[in-house]
Amino acid sequence: MNMEKSIKEPIVKMEGIVKTFPNVVANDGIDFEIYPKEIHALLGENGAGKTTLMNILYGLYKPDRGTIYIYGKKVNIRNPSDAQKLGIGMVHQHFSLIPYFNVLENISIGLKELKINLNTNKIKEKLDRIMQEYGLQVDPEKKIEEMSVGEMQRVEILKLLFRGANILILDEPTSALTPQEVEELFKSLKSLVNQDKSIVIITHKLYEVFEISDRITVLRKGKVTYKGFTKDTEQEALVEAMVGRNVVFEEFNRKETNYTGSLKVIGLTVYGKGKIPIVNKVSFELKRGEILGIAAVAGNGEKELIDALFGLIKANEGKIFLDDKQIDNKPTKTRTQLGLSYIPGERLTRGVAAGLSLSFNSILHDHWSDPYIKNSLLNENEIRKFARKIISSFYVNANSEETLAKQLSGGNIQKFIVGREILREPKYILAVNPTSGLDVGATQMVRQALIEMRNSGAGILLSSEDLDELVSLSDRIIVMYKGEIVGSFKRGEFDKLRIGSLMMGKKLN
Amino acid sequence: MNESLILLLIETILIGMVPRAMPIFSAALGETVDQSAGILNLGVEGMMLMGAITGLLVDYYYHNIVFAFLAAGAVGILFGAIHGVLVITMKLDQTVIGTALWFVGWGLSGVIYAAIFGISSAPPTVQTLGHIYIPYLSSIPFFGRFIFGEDPLVYILIVTLIVVDYFLFHTKQGLNLRTVGQDPRVAEIMGVNPYLYRYAAVIFGGLMAGIGGAYLSLAIVGSFYFDLTAGMGFIAVALVYFGKWKPWRVFAGTLIFGAVYVFYFMMENIYPKIPYEFYQMLPYVVTLIMILIIGTKARAPASLALPYVKGE
Repeated sequence: MNMEKSIKEPIVKMEGIVKTFPNVVANDGIDFEIYPKEIHALLGENGAGKTTLMNILYGLYKPDRGTIYIYGKKVNIRNPSDAQKLGIGMVHQHFSLIPYFNVLENISIGLKELKINLNTNKIKEKLDRIMQEYGLQVDPEKKIEEMSVGEMQRVEILKLLFRGANILILDEPTSALTPQEVEELFKSLKSLVNQDKSIVIITHKLYEVFEISDRITVLRKGKVTYKGFTKDTEQEALVEAMVGRNVVFEEFNRKETNYTGSLKVIGLTVYGKGKIPIVNKVSFELKRGEILGIAAVAGNGEKELIDALFGLIKANEGKIFLDDKQIDNKPTKTRTQLGLSYIPGERLTRGVAAGLSLSFNSILHDHWSDPYIKNSLLNENEIRKFARKIISSFYVNANSEETLAKQLSGGNIQKFIVGREILREPKYILAVNPTSGLDVGATQMVRQALIEMRNSGAGILLSSEDLDELVSLSDRIIVMYKGEIVGSFKRGEFDKLRIGSLMMGKKLN
Repeated sequence: MNESLILLLIETILIGMVPRAMPIFSAALGETVDQSAGILNLGVEGMMLMGAITGLLVDYYYHNIVFAFLAAGAVGILFGAIHGVLVITMKLDQTVIGTALWFVGWGLSGVIYAAIFGISSAPPTVQTLGHIYIPYLSSIPFFGRFIFGEDPLVYILIVTLIVVDYFLFHTKQGLNLRTVGQDPRVAEIMGVNPYLYRYAAVIFGGLMAGIGGAYLSLAIVGSFYFDLTAGMGFIAVALVYFGKWKPWRVFAGTLIFGAVYVFYFMMENIYPKIPYEFYQMLPYVVTLIMILIIGTKARAPASLALPYVKGE
């Protein structure tokens, strides 16, 4: 089968694609081909230019230079409808669905085969046929806002098939799916390929690439760094193509620490609606020079606990002491001045002011204090200097410190936030999913930085959805379930199975 | 009050409320389409006033009521197009631009009036739009005149209502327009040009506001004076929320406003001891209460008042 593929002509051929944005060269002379009946993985770090390249193929961006051939014919794709006419369809990470409309309405938007009258019966018939043919089922009358992410994704794929797409581009299709949904999606994708479709999946998850793809293209900083058949590809080669260096998966250098001072929490309780405790009498002590992991399935009070510690919500009962100073009655400002830092999970809404420059974002916690203020005025030189320090120490991909936060990719925003919180040299850090959405290289860098902070005496409270991360970084792990601490483990006694079952609400004997 | 008096009262309200509702209804129907495409037009009031003065001038000098309405509609379209350039192409803030257009229409209509007719002289009058009395049917007691004895524009507006409702909810183009109001990015990805639909919407909105204003000066008052509309444009915007962006509900809302309006005219004569300002306030208060009851459940098009910037 692969032999056959290698002689076939590509159905899509992109040649020398260049696309520049005001602050970055997103695509720097990329050649990319899609062959018939294949699943092609487009792999790369955050901001490598994967989505940009596919948006160009889909007519959302105009390339500065380069040519596109479809079935050997040179084409000019001005907008998504041109792409659709050529049989190209794309499912974006943010779905292109109207939540308020049902499936049939969403499919009918801009549909060329309808003249004036919205003939829902005709659409329904055709949709039923397509659902049968490809084994993708949804309820045509159901509103999108009542659907799970997996269902929405099926609607998106059906929408493309309805318009006769032969080439389907999926941008990080698994990022919001449950494991079962991922399995189902992969099954559907394989059956689509069996029915003569070609699929591109944009991803930065290695295991997906090996599980599903036939061919791989890797981008790095807007350039192609690897091309090949999946079966001939070694994992190490792929990682190197992605990050440009060997990522060493080794145990961190963890020093013996003995610092005085701690963040002490006693009987902390936060009530939700109807006086039901979301955080229920939580007590623990986070010493300086240690990483305390919180393991919890999202929605078990771990978020509210951190919010209450940082002062974003008020604790109804209990006390918090930072180095023996009671802070539960103090505002967030005082807490940050006493040496508390916060790496939020919601990076765009809580981590940065998206419309401000990186330099202003670098002093969000500290704009009232030395050296950023001089004679009651902002000291721009110091501020820029600090922002530049974050950018260079954490390899934030930004043109300058005057770039607006919203112009950065999600991964680079996260690197910037982590850098800011660490470089302000706090005594304690509250970190929520600090590496989520980061690529392999950046993840490793952030973890290393957290360990170094710990070694030099910071106490870190780490809440993470990634159990492996907790296990590899923490000195101790506490497990939260329904607002209570249900288990506590020391390094050396970590047992992912036991921690996992406690997180799911199983009692241990 | 005896029974026949109450019946007479109701009949009077029925007959009177339709014409009273029409200026607001016309503007509100335009606003419904505007908002369905994601454009908040707060300048309706100004557009109505421009339609009112234009209609009156044309009718006063040329004695042709059809031309008068057409001219008012044309001025409405002009204002709608200006509105479009400012908020769609230039992407300026819709609240600010809407308020600005209100002031322009409000001031300009007053200035035009004062420049042509002077300030102290008696207001110019024209004959109001005649009614069509369908033989026999219009003499049915109680409902006859209400249903079969309206002026021609009422029937035209009802037909427009049916067409707009069908367009919005039963045609592909209507779905496209509502998609643009929900999420123009999705519309674009699905091959719909958001700018085109938004321009069509603001032009229709301007047309209907202009016609609504002219209806007030030509069919109801037969004249023009400064600030003739007295906030009706804003009532129109409010009733779109009451109507939850559904033309028939918006129509019902404007009829309620019309009914309360007629009611206050009558009560003013029956109980003259209460200051007339109190009665004058009633339709507005009732509208406010209607919005308060409904408004919390109303869900505006998700991209209402948000400009669409390509590629973001």
